[in-house]
Amino acid sequence: MRPALHHLGDRSLGPLLIAPVVLVLGTVIAYPLFAAIALSAFAVDTPTLRSRFVGLGNYAELLGADGRFWPALGVTLVWTAATLALQIVIGVAMALLLNRDLWLRSLARSLVLFPYFVSTVVAVLVWRWLFNDMFGLANQLLMKIGVIAAPLDWLGTMPSALLSVIVVGAWKFFPFVVIAVLARLQTIPESLYDAARLDGAGAWSRFRDVTLPQIGEVLGIVVLLRAIWDFKEFDLVYLLTGGGPVDATRTLPLIVYQEAFGLNRMGMAAAYAVAMMITMLGFFLLYRLAVRGRT
Amino acid sequence: MVDVRQGRQDSVAMTGKPTTGENGAPLLNRRCLLGSALALPMLALPMAACSGNDDRKVLRWWSPQAAPAQARAYRAQIAGFEAANPGYRVVFEPTSDEGYPAQFAAAFAAGQVPNIVTHLPSFAAQSYYAQGLLEPMDGVAATIGAARFLPGANAPYRAADGRLSAVAIGGTAVDMLWLRRDLMAAAGIDTPPRDWDALRDACRRMQTKRIYGAPLPYGSNSMTSLVFISFIHRAGGQVFTPDLQLALDSAPTYAALEFYRSMREYCPPSASSYGWSDSLNAFVSGATATGIYGGRVLISAARQNPRMARTLVCVPYPSQTVATPSWTFNDFPCLFIPKGATEIAATKALASSLYEPAGYVRQMLAAPGHVLPVLQGITDSPDYRGNPITSLFATQIATMTRAAAAGHNLGFESPAHRPNTKAGEIIASHAIAEMVQRVVISGESAKAAVARASSRIAAIMRGADVPR
Repeated sequence: MRPALHHLGDRSLGPLLIAPVVLVLGTVIAYPLFAAIALSAFAVDTPTLRSRFVGLGNYAELLGADGRFWPALGVTLVWTAATLALQIVIGVAMALLLNRDLWLRSLARSLVLFPYFVSTVVAVLVWRWLFNDMFGLANQLLMKIGVIAAPLDWLGTMPSALLSVIVVGAWKFFPFVVIAVLARLQTIPESLYDAARLDGAGAWSRFRDVTLPQIGEVLGIVVLLRAIWDFKEFDLVYLLTGGGPVDATRTLPLIVYQEAFGLNRMGMAAAYAVAMMITMLGFFLLYRLAVRGRT
Repeated sequence: MVDVRQGRQDSVAMTGKPTTGENGAPLLNRRCLLGSALALPMLALPMAACSGNDDRKVLRWWSPQAAPAQARAYRAQIAGFEAANPGYRVVFEPTSDEGYPAQFAAAFAAGQVPNIVTHLPSFAAQSYYAQGLLEPMDGVAATIGAARFLPGANAPYRAADGRLSAVAIGGTAVDMLWLRRDLMAAAGIDTPPRDWDALRDACRRMQTKRIYGAPLPYGSNSMTSLVFISFIHRAGGQVFTPDLQLALDSAPTYAALEFYRSMREYCPPSASSYGWSDSLNAFVSGATATGIYGGRVLISAARQNPRMARTLVCVPYPSQTVATPSWTFNDFPCLFIPKGATEIAATKALASSLYEPAGYVRQMLAAPGHVLPVLQGITDSPDYRGNPITSLFATQIATMTRAAAAGHNLGFESPAHRPNTKAGEIIASHAIAEMVQRVVISGESAKAAVARASSRIAAIMRGADVPR
């Protein structure tokens, strides 16, 4: 063993050490990516995997007049932008609060992470129960204080269905913003705030001129990551509304799922998935341009 | 805190060679890599040993009927099979009515199929069989004894090639009309409604500030599709002609849509997203005056609302007029064996064992009245009749049994219809549920909604030009 190992010089050892990483990345990223692109050029029956080459036929159908891509993209963008905005606002506010010297601060910091840790299935069950028309807390409370006269159908009609999904999404994922922003807040030197106070800056000015620039980079990363994750969010939307009423909350991932496993059109599902990836790539490039312009 | 320098001295002392660099960071040398590579399999050995020494072959059983009592009954049947076949272990894995299409598509695509599948609707079996994904079940039916089945029980599974795609394991009258005598009396209603006008009037009269008239489903899901197909038939229509030409755009469909829209005001607000469990719970909890469901109402009411259970009335759901023939949705729960299942002889033995009288009766009694027997003599057997639910609700169960025997579904719209092997995909597409939603919730014109649904169903029937 030993002589064989000694034959390997440092020049050979380098590629050897990198090889596992290349292999893993190739297996888990490159192969699925190219497989999905290739799959999208076929009409594939999911259970039997029998296929026929259709070239760009799937893309022509999904982007055409009868395709569901554009309406679903609109719903996906509304969902992503709205829930992300709410997550950021609630997350930053909560992080600022938890950065203060509060009573039971450690406990509060732990509890605020609860929505992020709880399983999506459990979270959806709890929220569906809260939204229940006859026994749900939301309707009972609103009726008691006189805001509504009769129970609302939160998840079955528009616009309340989309609003409900957005709110539940914000509740579920805002702790991620809290974690990231709070970590950055704790590293901002107190001297910056002291200097601002000496200059007569009020609370809002200190937030705008000291805190916001300091957490800007972290927020940029958080927005990027959460935008990607929210754009392809599946389970929460699927379990809450199933995409209804009609197609009002049917985001692109739900269509991918339905095409692949409901309609057994794996090739079409792959085409939707590739179109999603290209859309996300477009937004990512825009983000890069924006960041590069700023720096 | 660990003293990095101390750590370096320790490692030198142990090996005679430094394994950390000058700054204390570990040096990764070839020996270390080789050692790790050898150590990993060594570590894996005890883990593999911990996985147990059960060398029995595993048979997997999937079913969407997996309530706790049913799972217990299956376990008893499994125990009997395992005792008779010591080389095999049977694992029961629940699936769901809403989720099975996805699970099966993935299982077939991956080649990881279960050995037996029970309680899936007949149209699912027909669809999979037409794609060459199931074993013919004639042999299993013969082993069980073709004469033991009720007349016509296996007709919905007869495929185009004349063979059985599945065998019946039960029957279900899925969309019966459930009423409460106490609420009927309070509303001055003497007899159950027999047509749509009477039903709507009964719902209106029984609806109060706290109780809605009916829990009809308006969600984007399979229940809405399956239930609404029944309403089309109850208006005298059909989705397909017997030779499977699309016949959705017809006067009965529009009449059914109009009636369904008119019923919305008697349903709870969240009926817009109702599925099976929501609809059942709405009635059993007392939130609605009527119910639309199978026999699971009996056991749920007996356990959760016993006072209400004593007042239950069960009749076939009314048609548009008294003269229009009744139509009950029976999903014809079945048993099939996927092609590619391992240990096929043992699998077929397991399938046959599920029909042995003692175990079969116990299985039926796990959901009494909901899954109705399809074997001769079971309903009259003392074991079956001795159950508190079946004895207390004998009248209701007899009504459901008659309705189920004359039942149909989209894959088997009438005895004259060819098997519709695309029924499963049509249901999974939610095209019919969305048609209902467009008319009732979005307020679109019925003509446009029917045209859109017809277009989608026609595309599914064309089969996405993939050879099958």
